[in-house]
Amino acid sequence: MLASGLLDIVADVEDLARFLTSSSQFNSQMAKPSVFLPTPSDRETSVFRHGSEPRDVLWTIGDEHAGRNRTLHGAAIIKTSDVRSALLQVIASEPPPRHASITGWPWLDNDPELQKAQQKERAVLIASKAILVRR
Amino acid sequence: MHRIVPVVGLSGHLALQAIAGGGSAISPEANAVHKAVTEVVELTERSLVLFGKKASALSQLAELAAECAQQGWDGDTAAGINPNAVLYAEHFVRALPEGIPLPEFTPEPDGSISLDWIRSPNRLFSLSVGNSNRLAYAWLDGADKGHGVARFDGQTIPPRVLEDIKGIAGQGHVGLRAA
Repeated sequence: MLASGLLDIVADVEDLARFLTSSSQFNSQMAKPSVFLPTPSDRETSVFRHGSEPRDVLWTIGDEHAGRNRTLHGAAIIKTSDVRSALLQVIASEPPPRHASITGWPWLDNDPELQKAQQKERAVLIASKAILVRR
Repeated sequence: MHRIVPVVGLSGHLALQAIAGGGSAISPEANAVHKAVTEVVELTERSLVLFGKKASALSQLAELAAECAQQGWDGDTAAGINPNAVLYAEHFVRALPEGIPLPEFTPEPDGSISLDWIRSPNRLFSLSVGNSNRLAYAWLDGADKGHGVARFDGQTIPPRVLEDIKGIAGQGHVGLRAA
């Protein structure tokens, strides 16, 4: 059991929230694929183990961890199982509470563009399943 | 960052419009001039419409570049938008042929810019423009998916990329602006 009270194994049925800090990260239909791409520094995508409800808790987490110096525009909510279906892993990564990481992204140091293309294919798959929650 | 490039001088266009609008030419020469001017006016107005859409897209690109210029724009550790990515994206948009929908722009955490053609969540094409002339892309079309890399010379859209954009985005779809 983690400090947040959550299990240290992220279950397939759990929702994950990826916070949106730019209005360009979504349109009227969906959160765009690049929302889910990993940061090069840690090769992971940072998410929080929370669904679309309760909404006030979702925004409290977002304001505290993603929107400190940015406007929080919303969140993309994705099922853990959909991330794993894209051949990626989800691991608990506290602190902060409820934090988790999407890992296992393709990484090809000798061909960064092919690496990006492979990452984008996975990001596209995840984005197609995600639910957009606007603030 | 964004440059407005005039397609035609407005005063010249207005003068041509005045000539084209006057339908009282009598001689064959005058008729020929009238016909030629009318064609020029039509072409010019078409260019203005096309340029207006691309200019709007390029303005959005410039806004995005400014908004996400600093590291940490995502509230985490994302790199600021790379100036070279902005230039490549601008060249790409300018090179899009007439009739091809214009993309939406999204920042990527490595400083690249994503150009997205989204018809629906299950039908989209996403292309990444970064610090080199090799473009990474991926698409989803129902049950079909894939990815690839193409070289962009700054002037001509790679044929494979163009075909994929046409196939996914189609033409005249609501929400996609034709170039």
